[in-house]
Amino acid sequence: MTALTAPGRPGTARRRPVPWPRLAWVTWRQHRVALAGVAALLGGLALYLLIMGLKIHSAYLAVASCHPAGSAVCEVTGRPFSSYYHTAQEMTILLHVIPVLIGVFVGAPLLARELETGTFRFAWTQGCGRLRWVVAKLALLAIAVTAAAGAFSLLFSWYYQPFFAERFDGVLAPQLFDMRGVDFAAWALAAFAIGAIAGVLIKRTVPAMAASLAIWTGLDFGTFLFLRKHYQAPLVVKGSPSYNNPPWVTSQWYIGPNGATANQQTIRNVIAHAPATVRNSLNPNAATAYLSAHHYTQWSAYQPEIRFWHFQLIEGGWLLLLSLLLIGAAIWLVRRRA
Amino acid sequence: MNVIECGGLGKRYHRAWALRDCTVAIPGGRVVALVGPNGAGKTTLLHLAVGLLAPTAGRISVLGREQPGSPAALDGIGFVAQDAPLYKNLPVADMLHVTRNLNRRWDQQHAQARLAELGIPLAKKVGKLSGGQQAQLALTVALARHPQLLVLDEPLAMLDPLARHDFMAGVMAAVAEEGITVVLSSHALAELERVADYLIVLARGRVQVAGEVEDLLATHRTFTGPASQALDDSERLRVVHARGGQAQAHLLVRTDRPGQPPPGGWESHPVSLEELVLAYLREPEAAALPGPRPLRDATAMTS
Repeated sequence: MTALTAPGRPGTARRRPVPWPRLAWVTWRQHRVALAGVAALLGGLALYLLIMGLKIHSAYLAVASCHPAGSAVCEVTGRPFSSYYHTAQEMTILLHVIPVLIGVFVGAPLLARELETGTFRFAWTQGCGRLRWVVAKLALLAIAVTAAAGAFSLLFSWYYQPFFAERFDGVLAPQLFDMRGVDFAAWALAAFAIGAIAGVLIKRTVPAMAASLAIWTGLDFGTFLFLRKHYQAPLVVKGSPSYNNPPWVTSQWYIGPNGATANQQTIRNVIAHAPATVRNSLNPNAATAYLSAHHYTQWSAYQPEIRFWHFQLIEGGWLLLLSLLLIGAAIWLVRRRA
Repeated sequence: MNVIECGGLGKRYHRAWALRDCTVAIPGGRVVALVGPNGAGKTTLLHLAVGLLAPTAGRISVLGREQPGSPAALDGIGFVAQDAPLYKNLPVADMLHVTRNLNRRWDQQHAQARLAELGIPLAKKVGKLSGGQQAQLALTVALARHPQLLVLDEPLAMLDPLARHDFMAGVMAAVAEEGITVVLSSHALAELERVADYLIVLARGRVQVAGEVEDLLATHRTFTGPASQALDDSERLRVVHARGGQAQAHLLVRTDRPGQPPPGGWESHPVSLEELVLAYLREPEAAALPGPRPLRDATAMTS
């Protein structure tokens, strides 16, 4: 469009918008405490992962280079590695709170505090306009927390790598899947977006924090309990899938002699007639073998490890889409709130 | 140029109208006082003018023919909302820096000079300032943007008498130095009397009185006379509000012949702005409005 086709109106001619770097400074200045909190939390935990990671890697090196594997000497050599494994498992559970902390302490107060204290009446009447103001805040902070979470999950992957190498866990294991790949960053972004939209809708800081905590936790549990296993149809195998390449077994069942699925009670009844050596055996395969001898065949549905990145992209993809929708909705609400 | 012009303007929250059928043209170059009881729609009207709210009905334009909330309108209007909301956790210097970065136009020297004059330390946190200082800071931040129009919503409500005086002195200095138009809502009738030269009274979401203070004072008189003697409205005289004891009656009347002697038995006195406003606030049905006057270039406002 040229100047000829756009007749200038007095007073509105060519107003250059307030540049983004200036709005970025405002965002930084107002949220640097929250960002410093995230940096301190992630930095402290990263330091821990780094120190423990180095220990784990050196312990793993000792295990991997011990010959012959399985000997009494190697068992002693492997002890530190096994003890690190227990600590790492507990740590992994703890690290799951990081995304929701970001949502609660960065996302939820972002707009709720402005609406609660009335400062939105200041911010939205400045020359930059409320649209640029809210876009600068949401976009910059979303990128910052996603990048920080992404970097942290890379470090975690390195830290945990020896346990995958030693087949202690499968990469699809629910407690590990969302700590790695793109998933951890996606969950952090989703937490931030949930916090932001809760803030706009609820308009009060503490209730918005509580709501985002509840919503994110519900979404996270719902996803790993019900949703993730359906990203792709599971493979079905007779018996148990090989543990050389530990897959994620999503369900197991028995087919009885009549060709129908046997329910739990039936299986218990069959086992009850088994000799004590079978019933009291610590090896689960003993029961399976006994059942098999009585024409009850075990079947397993599982997701093979090779699907890791496929699942990562599916989950990361829908979380990204959801986050963008929520952030877009928050921007739209700020813009039209009247 | 009219700084705020609205026609049939209305704003409804859920089911209740906060402002209804508001048609008013506020001329530039004045200090405009917006008064009315709580819930009359003052804040709603001001929020519509600064673009915080969107109208449910009717139209509003500011600074000539700009849409509220448009870049030109945002640039040209400095707004201090009720209770002067600022970022209380920021030091004063950073509050200035934040505002500078949110605006195209900003006069850092003006802001710093004004704060130095007021003795407001730059290093102190905004939340640690006194109420009067916070109001002054909010005013400073608004003035440093060099607006054409300064909109103040109840700026005096939280201030003690001295702070009120100082705040209004600051506003009047800006009016004198820069010729900006000020629209302020307030309950402080005594303060307004000293500064306002245009008055708008809102009652029950409608404009009740609108006019130059000078004209309003010239066309209103207080008549005192025997309570027994009735004085009826006539073509030239309208009783806005009557109050009286057993013997004497006080009538606030509107007349277009202020020089004329009152009817027999009555004495005529000039009115103060406060008396005038109180009389209208007590009689929400009475009105003193300029005659029906088409909005200047009303079609342009909708574009």
